[in-house]
Amino acid sequence: MAEEWRLVDTGLCDAFHNMALDEAIVVARSKNLVPNTLRFFRWQPSAVSIGYFQSMEEEVDTLACDRRGIGYVRRRTGGGAVYHDTDGELTYSLIIDENHALISEDFQKTYETLCSGLVLGLSRLGVPAEFKPINDISVQGRKISGNAQTRGMNVVHQHGTILRKVDPALMFTLLKVPNEKIRDKLIRSVQERVTSIEMLLKKEVSFDDLKGALSSGFEEAFKVKLVEGETLEFEEQLAAKLKAEKYGTRQWNFKR
Amino acid sequence: MGRAEYKVEGGKLIKVQLSRKGNLIEAIKITGDFFLHPEELIEDLELKLAGHPLDEKALIRLMKTLVEKKKATLLGASPEDFAKCIMMAGGDGG
Repeated sequence: MAEEWRLVDTGLCDAFHNMALDEAIVVARSKNLVPNTLRFFRWQPSAVSIGYFQSMEEEVDTLACDRRGIGYVRRRTGGGAVYHDTDGELTYSLIIDENHALISEDFQKTYETLCSGLVLGLSRLGVPAEFKPINDISVQGRKISGNAQTRGMNVVHQHGTILRKVDPALMFTLLKVPNEKIRDKLIRSVQERVTSIEMLLKKEVSFDDLKGALSSGFEEAFKVKLVEGETLEFEEQLAAKLKAEKYGTRQWNFKR
Repeated sequence: MGRAEYKVEGGKLIKVQLSRKGNLIEAIKITGDFFLHPEELIEDLELKLAGHPLDEKALIRLMKTLVEKKKATLLGASPEDFAKCIMMAGGDGG
């Protein structure tokens, strides 16, 4: 019988809670309170997340975000800035015991293995996706998914984004550009380098269909059975604490 | 204050901001979209670099030693790339 993993869909939450809950699940996994977990989530309000090593002030136009009610948060993982549109993208997290057979000591290999579930899932929708090192998934040379991974407490944590719809012009009103003269050029370059499910299939795919396809992709790629579950009280309480003391604080979000 | 950005071919972007005192780095901030694990090592590295000479080979050595000692993983940028970007930031009058 296939190994069982937990599937949790935490729906729409704000940026601080989303990042706090990811870390809370990592802690719960490290204490063996929960099995390996696939989480799906969305962002409401829409928000920008930045990589651990990025500078909030340099990357994000926080005034523009504030004006539009858009959130911003620093992730515990490296990588680049991502705009998480409430309706435009789906985010997933994988929280897996570091000793699991799927996990290699080599980060690059582990990216490829874990992304293979997304690649299979997207192909089930008719999107011919492929893994593109270091941490992207692309279709016909255009990026459709970015992913970021870290480890700690004997747990591997990878999260990433899948674009349903994309609006590069909005993205560049929220992200800082080196100077105004190149804003249009940057927008055009993103239009050339990025794609979305809607652009590729010329139709909208519902979040439920997308989650269904990705879940099947992960099950097939990892040879596991996903069992729908809930977050524990422990996870919710820890998430609230991490939001109050870490992800919701200026000290964390502006630390670099 | 010297600043530089360096996009690694096939890799990530490194940004360095530093102030110098003679040929020494006085204070430095390294940001970008690269991956380094454990992540907190970046703060250690910045502290270690304060007071360090702006010498490319020595910077590469320091980073390699730190990565080895802490069993760290770098993805999307190498010690050589970081050293190069630090030298670039140190060179523009800082």
